[in-house]
Amino acid sequence: MVELLAPAGNLERLKIAFLYGADAVYIGGYEYSLRANAINFSIDELKEAVRFAHDLNKRVYVTVNIVFHNKDLDGLKEYLIELAQIGVDAVIVSDIAVIEVIKDNHIPLEIHLSTQASILNYESALFYKELGVKRIVLAREASRKDIKIIKEKTGLDLECFIQGAMCTSFSGKCVLSNVVTNRDSNRGGCAQVCRWTFDINHESEIFSMTPKDLNMSIYLKDMMDIGVNSFKVEGRMRSVYYIATVIYEYRHLFDKIKSNTLTECDILYSNDIINRCANRESTHQFYDKLPTHEEQYYLGRDEMSNQDFLGIVKGAKDGLVWVEERNYFKVGDVVEFFGPNMEPKTYQIHTMYNESMESIDVARHPRMQVFLKLDTLLPENTMMRLKVFDKNNYL
Amino acid sequence: MKNNYLLLVTNKTLIPKLSKESNITFLFPVEEFTVGFPNTFKIEEIREPHAYLFVNRLLDNEGIESFKSLLKDLPSNIEGIVFDDIGILQILKENTTLKKILFLNHFNCNYKSINTYLEYVDSVVVSTDITDMEVSEILEHAINPLVLYTFGHVSIMYSRRQLISNYNEHFKKNVESISTLTNDLGSHFKIVENKYGTVIYTDKPFNGLRYREKKNVWYHLINTLLLSDEEILEIIHKKDNLTEKYPYTYLSESETIVRIKER
Repeated sequence: MVELLAPAGNLERLKIAFLYGADAVYIGGYEYSLRANAINFSIDELKEAVRFAHDLNKRVYVTVNIVFHNKDLDGLKEYLIELAQIGVDAVIVSDIAVIEVIKDNHIPLEIHLSTQASILNYESALFYKELGVKRIVLAREASRKDIKIIKEKTGLDLECFIQGAMCTSFSGKCVLSNVVTNRDSNRGGCAQVCRWTFDINHESEIFSMTPKDLNMSIYLKDMMDIGVNSFKVEGRMRSVYYIATVIYEYRHLFDKIKSNTLTECDILYSNDIINRCANRESTHQFYDKLPTHEEQYYLGRDEMSNQDFLGIVKGAKDGLVWVEERNYFKVGDVVEFFGPNMEPKTYQIHTMYNESMESIDVARHPRMQVFLKLDTLLPENTMMRLKVFDKNNYL
Repeated sequence: MKNNYLLLVTNKTLIPKLSKESNITFLFPVEEFTVGFPNTFKIEEIREPHAYLFVNRLLDNEGIESFKSLLKDLPSNIEGIVFDDIGILQILKENTTLKKILFLNHFNCNYKSINTYLEYVDSVVVSTDITDMEVSEILEHAINPLVLYTFGHVSIMYSRRQLISNYNEHFKKNVESISTLTNDLGSHFKIVENKYGTVIYTDKPFNGLRYREKKNVWYHLINTLLLSDEEILEIIHKKDNLTEKYPYTYLSESETIVRIKER
């Protein structure tokens, strides 16, 4: 089994992730989740998420991965029972207390061990396997060699990150946020102090710990070959557009690998799309070597924001494509649409209308309802972006 | 009753000054198996009786095999081990010779987790990241006596990256492997690197000497890193909690915030 695993900070993003090709999604409830400042899911939303996923024969994992303090234990058992009743496919945990509560109370939940546990060796993995853990989310620091050995020696399901932000620290081994801002990094409040700038011994240059993002697209096939089961995209705080773009591209690469038609051109093109959407540079970090200074930034939060995301298709009206705007676009722009089960389509905008069906030259306002005359209608939830990359240039 | 101290040794000159004291157990950071220490010890350099080994590196598969090799030839004066990696716990499950203390840094913030681990080890170091009151609750519920981190600079970040070397490489500098970091808000930290990674410590030592009053404590762990021998002798020998000299209480006085809206 090979799985593309997407993040989702709310129900809308979950649905987009599935529609764009995720096999499974990981989400947080209101409690016990490490992204306390994401919107997260109420119990009713969790129910809807599971129903939506299972209707598509897909899976939902719920993070219960904080480091528990005494008072956090109150209500944990009831919460886990509720998750089991809802039918979530697994919980992702880091604290052994959660595993014990599940075992002690015979709660029928599959357990995945969070990357917060920083598993790098097979003996650690075996310890948790004996406790009933079915899957290990390996430390992002695990090398190819480590992943292969852990798989061979444990037979466990292995989940590895393939895309997204990296912690400077081993996950779970950093409380800079607690010390500097009093926000608890291991209970969902991380203030990302490692992305701030520092000086060291009052030297003139900026000391930075900020890593570039992870992007494993060139190693997907190799990771499959050494036994990775689940390919995880980071980013429960990320936008609908990010999730759609990244999952779409990785789905495309997965399918190409499956049909044995993947080319270097596919990888390079997808990489450019993903990196531009992520607004950060990316590398493959620890997979094949210890990261050097080239895998870090030295200017703090070096993000390159853009306004490529132009809108989402909401449907059709009177033969026109109905788009809800996100960023400014105008007549004459060359744009690209991509969506579930469709190849990207390029158009130049010639004619567009506002809600009153008056012809307009410019769509200026986010959330503005715009109607485009194209040579075809497009399904709901198709994304519209500025065309930046042309795949023909990669051939 | 005299307190028992587990003294994490970073300066070899300290040992003869305290070796006659019956309530002190020396804890030695082991070469190749620790991060965050400028001075480490080869096994053959550890000659004290009843010595404990300190292994805080997160081990890859190669590291775990090296650790198994190290275990094969341990001299008889090695009484126990304090470790972070759960792989070591797995290896030592059946070992009844060594005393085992789990120091799962930044975890073990609740009594349920701690009691679970106590099924496999002799004791657990209680997290440094919780309040005094939470520590007391844990001690009250713990099924065995625990180890409290009672004094010393606290490790607040551990990266596999060689952050100082990377800085030196990028800017063609020669900054030393123990240095001081300062952030934009003026907060200072100590940073220490070796080939296995980088550790950031609090700038000031955490003073938890008041924890010496607590019950159900097996050892009080004192981390001597960045402290002089004189300071350490004073900390151990004075009954006073030295709060004026060392006022830093780290995270022990107020709870951390989980969500921004709680502010």
